Order: sequence, then C-alpha cells, then structure tokens
Amino acid sequence: MSTRRIGWATVFLAVPLIAYVAAVVGPGLYSFYYSLTDWNAVGGTATFIGLKHYRDMAGDEHFWLALKNTAIWTAVAVVVPTVVGLALALGLAQVQRMQRLIKSLFFLPLALSLVVVGQVWFWIFRPEDGLLNLVLGHVGLGSWQHSWLSDPSVAFWSVLVAWCWQQVALAMVVFLAGLTGVQQELVEACKVDGANARQRLWHVIIPALRPAFAVVVSLSMINALKSFDIVYVMTEGGPFRKTETLALLVYRTAFKTYDFGYASAVSVVLFLITLVTIGLFFAWTNREDHQNA
Amino acid sequence: MPETAVLTRGPAGEESSADEGRHHDGAGRGGRAGRRGRGERSGRAFAIVLLLIFGIGFLTPVIGVVLTSFKSNPEIAAHGLWTPSGDLTTDNYLKAWSDGNARTYLLNSFLVTVPATVISVVLGSLVGYVVAKLRPKGSGLITLFFVAGLFVPPQILLIPLFKLFNVNGLYDTLWPMIIVHGGYGISLCTLVMRNFFRSVPDELREAGLIDGAGEPRILASVILPVARPALAALATLQFTFIWNDFLYPLVFTRSDEVRTVMVGILSLQGQFSVAYGTQAAMAVLASLPTMAVFIAFQKHFIAGITSGAVKG
Repeated sequence: MSTRRIGWATVFLAVPLIAYVAAVVGPGLYSFYYSLTDWNAVGGTATFIGLKHYRDMAGDEHFWLALKNTAIWTAVAVVVPTVVGLALALGLAQVQRMQRLIKSLFFLPLALSLVVVGQVWFWIFRPEDGLLNLVLGHVGLGSWQHSWLSDPSVAFWSVLVAWCWQQVALAMVVFLAGLTGVQQELVEACKVDGANARQRLWHVIIPALRPAFAVVVSLSMINALKSFDIVYVMTEGGPFRKTETLALLVYRTAFKTYDFGYASAVSVVLFLITLVTIGLFFAWTNREDHQNA
Repeated sequence: MPETAVLTRGPAGEESSADEGRHHDGAGRGGRAGRRGRGERSGRAFAIVLLLIFGIGFLTPVIGVVLTSFKSNPEIAAHGLWTPSGDLTTDNYLKAWSDGNARTYLLNSFLVTVPATVISVVLGSLVGYVVAKLRPKGSGLITLFFVAGLFVPPQILLIPLFKLFNVNGLYDTLWPMIIVHGGYGISLCTLVMRNFFRSVPDELREAGLIDGAGEPRILASVILPVARPALAALATLQFTFIWNDFLYPLVFTRSDEVRTVMVGILSLQGQFSVAYGTQAAMAVLASLPTMAVFIAFQKHFIAGITSGAVKG
C-alpha cells in the first residue's frame, strides 16, 4: 500500500521536476558557472577565469550605481505602497454603497502590464505636453516643471512614482483581504470600552493585520528587486544610467554588449541579494511571531 | 471574501458558521449607524470624499490612455496628448489592427499564455498534491525545492536559456516563452495548491482508496473537483502574469511575426513614433484580455494573490 503511494508520488513528480529543472534550476546553476568564464560573444567559447568578474565588479562604478539604485528603489517600493495601500484599504473598508464597483476600480492597475503602465506614465511625464507639467502650469507652479524623465536629478524618482502607483494597488488588495479577517466583534467591543479610532487602529486592527503586512512587504520586496520592465520602457536606464537597476544592468551587459560572463556574475549577485534580503525578512517575522506567541 | 476562506481553510466547512456571523454583522451595520455619534458619521463622509478624490487621481492614467485611443492623431499633434477633445474616432483601433500587427501580436500572446498557464497549473497541482496528501519522505524538502523558484529573479535564467534556445533552434519562436513560463510558474502553483490540498480532509482520499480507485483516479475525480476555486484563482493569476510578461519575449524573440503583444507595443512606438492615438489603442487592446479575465474572475484573482503570498 505504502510503496504504491510512494510509486505514484514519484510518477506525479517526474514531469514537474523535469520542467522545473529545465527552466529554473539548470539555467540558474549554469549562470553560476558562466559567471566564472570569459564568454563574451554570441557564438563564442567560455574559458574558465575564476572570480575575475567579481573582482572587476568591485571596481565598476556602473555596478555600484545600479546597486545603490536598486537599494533605494527597493526601500521606497516597500515603504510607500505599504503605507498608502493600508490607508486606502482602511478607507475602502468604510465604503458601503457600490463597494464592488469602487473596489474594482481601485484594483484595476493590478491587471495592467508594466509596459502599459510605463507607457502611460511616460506620457504623463512628457516635458512639453505631459499631464504633470500641464497641471503644474495651470495651478501656477510653473517653476516646478521638469523634464521628468530626462533630467538626471529627478528621472529616478519619476520612474519610481509610476512603479509605486501599481504596487499600491497590490498592497491594498492584500490589506483589504486581511481586514475582512479582523474580528468585527473585537473592534465593536473596543468602541464600547471607549477606545477612540486611533487607539482601535493601533492596538486592534494593525496587530491583527500582521500576516497581511508580511505578505505585502515580501511581495513588494521581491517585485522591486527584479524591476525591469517599467524602467526599460520609461528610460532604458538613462539619463546617464541614473535609473539603471541591477536587473537592467544584467540585460544591458548581456544583450547589448554581449558580455555574457560578466552579466552572469551580476545576475548571480542579484540572486544572492534577493535570497539574503528575503531570508532576513522571513527570519525576522518568524522570530517576532515566536516572541508574540 | 469567501474564496480566500476556501483557499486557506478548505472545503471542510468548519468555519462556515463564523463566515455567516460576519455576513449578519454586515447586514446589521445599517441599524447600528443610527446609534453612532454624528461626528463619526461626518468623519466617514469626509473619508469617502477624500477617497473619491484620491480615486480619480489614481485612475487618471487609465482614463487618459483610453481617451487618447479615441482621439485622432492630427488632433493630438495640434493640441497635445492630454487636452480633452470633442471629436472621437475609432480609426486608431483600425490602424493598430491592420498596420500595427495587433492581430498577430494578440494571437501570439494567446498562443503563449494559454498553454503556459495550463502547464504551470497542472504541474504545480501535481507537486502540491504529492507533498500535501501523498507525503513521501522529505516532503518538506521537496516543497522548499519547488517553491524556492519564487525567489529566483528571472534575470539569472536569461543567459543560459538564451544559449539553450539558440542551440536547439527554438530562438525566435513562441516555444521559449511557453517552456519558461510553464516551468517557472510551477513554484507559485505548488505553493498555492499545497496550501489548498492541506486543507482537504484525508478522509476524502481514503474513501476513494476503500472504493478501490487508484491514485490517478482519486486525483482526477475526487480531489480536482473540490479544488476548482483554487484552480480558478491560480489560473487567473498565471494568465495575468504570463500575458503581461515582457522580459522573456524581449530576449527570446526577434522577428515581428513571433512578437507577443507587450513587445509589440514597444515596436509600434518605434514604428509610429508620433502616432500616440494608435499607440494608445494598442495599449488598450493589449490590456483588454487581462481586464476581461480580471473582471470576470475578480474574486479568484484577489484570492490568488492573497493566498499565493501567504506562506504556509
């Protein structure tokens, strides 16, 4: 009986295993190997050169810039959607009439691809006839107008705004789902006990949303670390690489200059950063959970 | 949200009484509002107005692209992208469809998205079922192995896959996207389906065994019918992800005939660099399938996001 169960388990696992190894595990391991070679042309050969690329990376200003950009990008892309998404979810939970319709409208950005999001925001940020500059001109803030995507001092933040716009919707969805799990009786009881809205929020609702917070933070973190589409569509990393993330650096190094070995090394670093960041976050939430338990 | 409840707690129905209680609570809210202080009610009205204003601002980008898609290109050239216009036209859609290859791009996207969605959901369900219900030794490690893919940035896969597809002649076809999404999606599908199957009572499978059914038979005719809401959630999610993907088709294709619609949007930008109306029409066309799926399966979509992310 039991051997038959194990037999079927093996059968069921066989095809997924092959597909997963072919698409994910194998290529991942190959990237580790390529990062140790000098492969730098489409038909070229890969000769083993050890850790040279990693040493080169330490002295590569483009790498450090992309790393810094990725770090700031990730920090903002976690904090802003979490805060704004929570506020919106708390607001939306109050809506009683036409709730479905209103919720659907707020969720809409989630179904949009980053290419379309990037394109729309590209139009908003156009210097001559973009919406943002038009509005600023109309309300008398003409001096605030910028070439939002080509001015090196603001381009990074402009792209980040577009990114956060979509991530807010994601955070809001998760928080709203979490809010339906907050026991209404408990909130009502606090009200009876004379707790005001702010006390209820801090001492009842937010603690009850812990799992939702964990989901929002880990999702936004993973998404932010691999951000590529929106940057590519809006600026291609420019001006002067001010908006280049690690993900974009991998793409550019591999498929514009065909330095596959070095690009592999950068992709390995990106992978390790992702692993460590997420690992630390999970370890931290687990410890908190144990302390609270 | 009942679907989330199904996903996380399963069909056993243990929690149904709690859910019902919540519904009653919702219905009773109107009655209690009378007892609430006037300050609270005006506070709520204020919050709703604020929300509306914010909502309109939030949706401006979406509204803008839809309006632009109905404006004629000469008018946009004369008055700018964001100036409202009285004359609306469908020319942009016709142009995107005929000159802009929208038909080819959309067809390619379907040819990639549908099989890749099916493959990833089927394969992920198999793994999820094995680790949740058959539980061979090392199930924990097997789960970790398959779910770890969630933390692998796609960039680390690009270069070896690019080489692989070049060597075996699949570069510049639709196959790379089907294969990679089918395999990469297993991680999320395994996680969601494992969480779901864990909530299915073991008795269901045992009853099947007693009736003399084999494992494949039990999976197909006992377990999968119960799993329908979870499968719908997952399929909705995967469809959206794969349809919206841009990186793989960017790297693994080159010719216009095999472009998916997301890469097509960009090529249209290069081709008709000032025809904003046409570009907007293309963006709307590219978004329609996910919008349709999203509106039809909204509850599933949200359940998928929330449950897929919840670590079990």
